[in-house]
Amino acid sequence: MSGWEVLMRSRKRWTLLGAAAVVAALALVAAGCGSSKKSSSGSTQSTSGKTFSTLHVVWGDTDYMDPGLSYRLESWQLFQNIYEGLVSQKHAGGAASADVVPTLASAMPVVSAGGKNYKFTLRKGLMYSNGKPLKASDFPATIVRDFKMNSPGIGFYSNIEGVDACEKNPTSCKSISGIVTDDAAGTVEVKLKEPQSDFLYVMSLPFSAPVPAGTPAKPLTNPPPAANGPYYMVSYQPHKSFLIKRNPHYKKDSIPTVPQGNPDVVVGTITDDLAASAQKVISGSADYDENLLPTDRLTQIQKKYGDHVKFFTTPSTYYFFMNQRTPPFDKLQARQAVNYAIDRDQLVKIRGGLGRTTQNFLPPTYPQYKKITHYTHDVNKAKQLVQQSGTKGMKVTVYTIGDTEIDKATGEYLQGVLKSIGWNAGIRELAGGTYFTIVGNQATKAQIGFTDWFQDYPYPTDWFGVLEDGTKITQIHNNNNSNVNIPAVNKEIARLSHLPPDQANAKSTNDAWAKLDSDLMVKYSSEVPYLNGLLTDFFSSRMDPSCDVNTNFYSDFSQYCLK
Amino acid sequence: MATRETTGAEFTLDTAAELAAEEGGRGIEGRSPWFLAWRRLRRNWVGLGFLAVFVLIVVACLCAPLYAKHVSGLGVNEINPGGTITVDGKEVPVVSKGGIVIGPNGEVQTVHAGGVPIGPQWGKAGGQYVLGADSLGRDIATRILYGGRNSLQVGIISALICSVLSIFLALLAGYYGGIPDWIISRFFDLIWAFPVILLGIALGTALSVNGFHHFGLNLSGSSLWIPTLVISYVYIPYLARPLRGQILSLRQTEFVDAATAQGASPLRIMFSELLPNIASTVLVLFTLIVANTILTEAALSFLGAGVQPPNPSWGTLIAAGQNTIVTAPWLGIAPGVAIVLTVLSLNIFGDALRDALDPRAKVRIEH
Repeated sequence: MSGWEVLMRSRKRWTLLGAAAVVAALALVAAGCGSSKKSSSGSTQSTSGKTFSTLHVVWGDTDYMDPGLSYRLESWQLFQNIYEGLVSQKHAGGAASADVVPTLASAMPVVSAGGKNYKFTLRKGLMYSNGKPLKASDFPATIVRDFKMNSPGIGFYSNIEGVDACEKNPTSCKSISGIVTDDAAGTVEVKLKEPQSDFLYVMSLPFSAPVPAGTPAKPLTNPPPAANGPYYMVSYQPHKSFLIKRNPHYKKDSIPTVPQGNPDVVVGTITDDLAASAQKVISGSADYDENLLPTDRLTQIQKKYGDHVKFFTTPSTYYFFMNQRTPPFDKLQARQAVNYAIDRDQLVKIRGGLGRTTQNFLPPTYPQYKKITHYTHDVNKAKQLVQQSGTKGMKVTVYTIGDTEIDKATGEYLQGVLKSIGWNAGIRELAGGTYFTIVGNQATKAQIGFTDWFQDYPYPTDWFGVLEDGTKITQIHNNNNSNVNIPAVNKEIARLSHLPPDQANAKSTNDAWAKLDSDLMVKYSSEVPYLNGLLTDFFSSRMDPSCDVNTNFYSDFSQYCLK
Repeated sequence: MATRETTGAEFTLDTAAELAAEEGGRGIEGRSPWFLAWRRLRRNWVGLGFLAVFVLIVVACLCAPLYAKHVSGLGVNEINPGGTITVDGKEVPVVSKGGIVIGPNGEVQTVHAGGVPIGPQWGKAGGQYVLGADSLGRDIATRILYGGRNSLQVGIISALICSVLSIFLALLAGYYGGIPDWIISRFFDLIWAFPVILLGIALGTALSVNGFHHFGLNLSGSSLWIPTLVISYVYIPYLARPLRGQILSLRQTEFVDAATAQGASPLRIMFSELLPNIASTVLVLFTLIVANTILTEAALSFLGAGVQPPNPSWGTLIAAGQNTIVTAPWLGIAPGVAIVLTVLSLNIFGDALRDALDPRAKVRIEH
């Protein structure tokens, strides 16, 4: 992958019901390698008899409602029933959510040339919400549209043959020779430069979901692009509201791996105010609260509303970055000092208890996870390390998000800790909307600060490849905020990212990823991971919370049901 | 007795004869206007009472380091989320502990919400956490006192700077008139065109990012001088305009003509003749503008464009408390009460001062 591609992968809040992905991933890979036989793992739970007219939801704010542009959880959660890919991550909870199943494709792809060629065949009779038929050629047109819009997702496609010209000048992208289609036969063949361990996951992202060829290459807001799933977005008022209805051109059960859906209409109100959001559900004016419950009211709401409050683990890691290009964090001892100085239990407490401590970079739901227990909370040792690093008294500025109380408190906690171990620590609080742009700009020279990562898909390349690979450091929009650039690590990430499907989830590969995790967090002390987060779902009294299914793209609204 | 309009622009201390009747027949001959004002002021118990309240607040805030050292035992930014205190013989966590229980398949079995700080102890914990703690275990009372220091410092110094600049510009514009007056008046119009808060937010936000590094000044983004200078700037026309009007009026009076005829230089006329005649107006306006600058500081800090963390101010403390207004209302209410008391005491004392200096004057800050 070229360096600039990561530039396009902006920071995203992402959630998934934690799952051991290995078995499922192996199954899909095996299916992909072996034959074009239709997958049997794609069925979803029946929703018959549970339909109802209108679902009122309150939703967090998002960036776009266009699958080619949005890189936010809030949109992707809705997209899972609106914009389907050739393959998708399964609409199921638990470990099965990590399965990739055929959606627009009739079966898992035929993989050939040692994992470099993937051939998909479309289901027959699929139509968009605007009445146009879905064609194979819509897929390359969609990827070209992504490039033309300079989508944050284009970095995912850098391993496709013939993409170089589009990468060099995205807005002038016209075609990609490595994507060959046949509309008559309904086939899409993707040729890769080299095997890619996570390619099927990439194909399951909304950036890869086909929209009609000819869809304008500009952010479409009201209405968003035509849908190919069971629902479509009728209207979207940014920062205010959205309206979703059943896709009139979607034939019942035409995609067996996607639920038909229970609500006929979804009326959404958008707000980032956690308290107001919860209050809407409490008062009965909304049936579901997508936002996190306000942590200070958790106990009260939990007691009063019982199982209508649901908690779920997320494959996320909250951590502090330490910029290795700027003192004092160019010194190993300084980075180790921070890891020893912070009390991870206290950081969980600041998050209202919604998290579990970690010293790993990978979340515990991954098969590649091997628990690290190297750092004990030891302030005296941290002070010694600061002394040894020769940086005592140095000015250090902690960066954090100022308009979210938890992030703000977390930053202030870190600043207090750094001060206590001998640095002259200050703090800079930035608005959430611009935070990652500012700290991701090398000109800012952000020394240390808050960050988090929620997976795009359950494979370690989405962590180490994006966040720890020194070859992908960029001048702006840099996701590798610590500027970790260790040649041996870079080499190992490259090796593990380009394995053929049959090796991608082998035990030896998992062990290699686990060693990389340990090397980065312990040997190089490259980051300060402190917790894996929990999120909440909150349903009104008329809803049956047992219908809540947390897929890889978060709670699936199509499966909600009434009591 | 001749009648005259009692506008601020015509306000002067040369009213002894006219006010004699209002003094209940008490002798005023030979008494300086300041003495007369003091005589009136000391009879205004409400005004003096609120002056005492303001002085108490200032003294309490100045004693913040003593309070932190000898009473709460925690510094202004000292965090203590894992700490415990003894209340009625029992050990209590400063911030409640939360946590989750994960089942064998990675599912969440139980969630214990945590992170709720301890409430006001009112002395039950030996002086610790009298007004409770915040989510990081910091002592709210200590932070309110330190926050008060910052708020008062920003408010009073910005009012002083604003007053000095306003007097200077008003004297120039009022004395010279013509082109200087036109230029200065347009400058006032330019500032006046923007609402105080909006202009404050724009300047405060821009300067808090990279600081101010011009004209030999090197101020970091977190410096208290940034909100101080921003607030002093945005209030200039509110103070300078009434002063300019008064000086324009005084410029036409005989004593200025006399001074000119005697060969007094413009500077001498401005600072020896005109300035003393607007002193009482400045004094009254100053008390009122301090109340306004304290409120503006609180508003800007509340919005993140004023005092920058980790420095507390009453505004930042209210902002921090708004999210927990249901479960920990003391976090937002306590600094709010401090602001109300301070501004109320300044306004009431300002009114009393105005009444004392000229009971008929209508000097006020207009927005």
